[in-house]
Amino acid sequence: MRAATACLGTEAGRKVKITSRARRRRRAFYTFVTPWLVGFILLTTLPLIAGLLTSLTNYDGLNLFNVDFVGMRNYASVLKDPNARHGVNRTLMWSLLNLPLWMICSLLLAILVNRKVKGIGVFRTLLYIPSVIPGVALVWTWKIILEQNFGLLNGFLSLFRPGTGIGWLTKYALGGVTAIAVWNGLGAGMIIFLAGLQGIPDELVEAARIDGANNFQVFWNVTLPMMTPVLFYQLVLGLIGAFQQFVIPLLVTTTAQQGIPVRGAYLYMIHVYQQIFATGRFGYGMALLWLLIIVIVLLTGVVFATQRYWVYTEIGEV
Amino acid sequence: MQALKRVRGARGKARKSLGRLMSYILLIVVTTLISVPLIWLVITSLKVDTEYLSYPITFLPAVPQWRNYLEVFAPQYHFLRHVGLTAFLALTFATLTVLTSSLFGFAFSRFSDVKACNRLFALVVGLIIIPSIVTVIPQFIIFSRLHLTGTYWPWILWGLAGSPFHIFLFRQFFLSFPRELEDAAEVDGCTPFGIFWRMFLPNAKPVVATSFILNFVWVWGDWFTPLIYLRNDNTTVAVIINTAYKTPTGQFLTTLTLAAVVVYILPMVLTFFLGQQHILKGVVTSGLAGR
Repeated sequence: MRAATACLGTEAGRKVKITSRARRRRRAFYTFVTPWLVGFILLTTLPLIAGLLTSLTNYDGLNLFNVDFVGMRNYASVLKDPNARHGVNRTLMWSLLNLPLWMICSLLLAILVNRKVKGIGVFRTLLYIPSVIPGVALVWTWKIILEQNFGLLNGFLSLFRPGTGIGWLTKYALGGVTAIAVWNGLGAGMIIFLAGLQGIPDELVEAARIDGANNFQVFWNVTLPMMTPVLFYQLVLGLIGAFQQFVIPLLVTTTAQQGIPVRGAYLYMIHVYQQIFATGRFGYGMALLWLLIIVIVLLTGVVFATQRYWVYTEIGEV
Repeated sequence: MQALKRVRGARGKARKSLGRLMSYILLIVVTTLISVPLIWLVITSLKVDTEYLSYPITFLPAVPQWRNYLEVFAPQYHFLRHVGLTAFLALTFATLTVLTSSLFGFAFSRFSDVKACNRLFALVVGLIIIPSIVTVIPQFIIFSRLHLTGTYWPWILWGLAGSPFHIFLFRQFFLSFPRELEDAAEVDGCTPFGIFWRMFLPNAKPVVATSFILNFVWVWGDWFTPLIYLRNDNTTVAVIINTAYKTPTGQFLTTLTLAAVVVYILPMVLTFFLGQQHILKGVVTSGLAGR
């Protein structure tokens, strides 16, 4: 009898202990993440809502106390804005140029450095360096190459065809900007593709070789299918990044001492930047921005939907 | 038979070393081609401006102008002052971000018994995926209304809130820590914060290094945020080198700017050489350098 009560006592005691431990852990968890939660509310949720509300007004940075609610009018004007249309056109061209070029070049580079020879680490390091160069330095580095009269590229071409003066930063600005961005992205792309290549089991390649496959067949039938998940990942991130690009074209144009960005590289985000920071049309700029975000989300969704047609997944993988 | 085998072996070896030679040639050619812009940057930074502005172009400077590199530090350009300010800002931001992100990462990895844990972590992952521009501009509007533009407060607040990607990085790392370690510490009377501070953080040195370098380099390289947030006299070095090197009449001093660019990127390249394995791990995890 005595033993039984004692037993009951400890049982109840343990239960109390467990619940109090759970409560303590809950309290500790919330104490830890509260700063994050506060930051999330103040620095993400609030700006998100503020941005959405701003896009429905005629706020211009000065008229805070007599802002008018204009409903969807900002969104409607986007459709009639020829500069926005031009920006969309340029952004699509830019993505079509930049994305495939960057992905193909970095995949080729990854294949090149994916071999076991002495000193390969040195080559990988050197090839990665362009990805370390930040925006401002990047643009100055390339400005002296692409400059029409004094640039290295036209100077080099003039050796074969004297007097070559191609406007890499003016008439063909989109080409120039693409070259800059691709060069800058090569190292990071290479490293990610390399990680993917190294994840391909050797047995697969060997089995293909025993079956008599040549280098190209191994690449086409083994390497490439096995790399589709990495390609997919790069495509999604690259697409999201390409649609948001504006730092390189903006810097190219400001260092060229031109007030207005070059027409050829007038990306959609440049238009947003112009509206908000140059003319102070915050409301309209936010409407432009929200439309861009909707497009990015939709496009990402489309890319995800195509996934099952071309991206290889292991059977049984979730 | 034996002889045949030997011949075949020798031929195979010759073929192999020929292949290796081809590999090296290809590697050297490609690496040189990709390095041309940086080599050209250094060469041009050693020219006088009139040499850069000559047509047709001259490939090498007649006399290398090493004094360009002294001129970069001339007092009228305030280069060193802004290097100091940038280093201070980057150090503050990186330290705060590492501390908060590691704490949040710890919370998200070790408290999965708390109901809200996984749901909140899903929000963190969501934040990594959504385009950052959604919040950048409205945040700027809010900060400017609060009169916090022109100060370093935004960076401190961003640091205190942690960065989603770095929270993710720390969480993944902490998940691999054995449960028993934590239980043993708890039995010994260690508080949850003590467990984080005395056991998890000291054992996460590689991730701390990765996270710190990526955050530091982000501030050092960022041009747009300081451009819109800060004043000319307290902005970062990225903004300064882009516009500071001009003659009194406003003409750009190109070769001087280029020398400043070299000085500006040198610490980044060196950091990369020294902290390679840390940085590349971060790049592979994020897919983006230093976000």
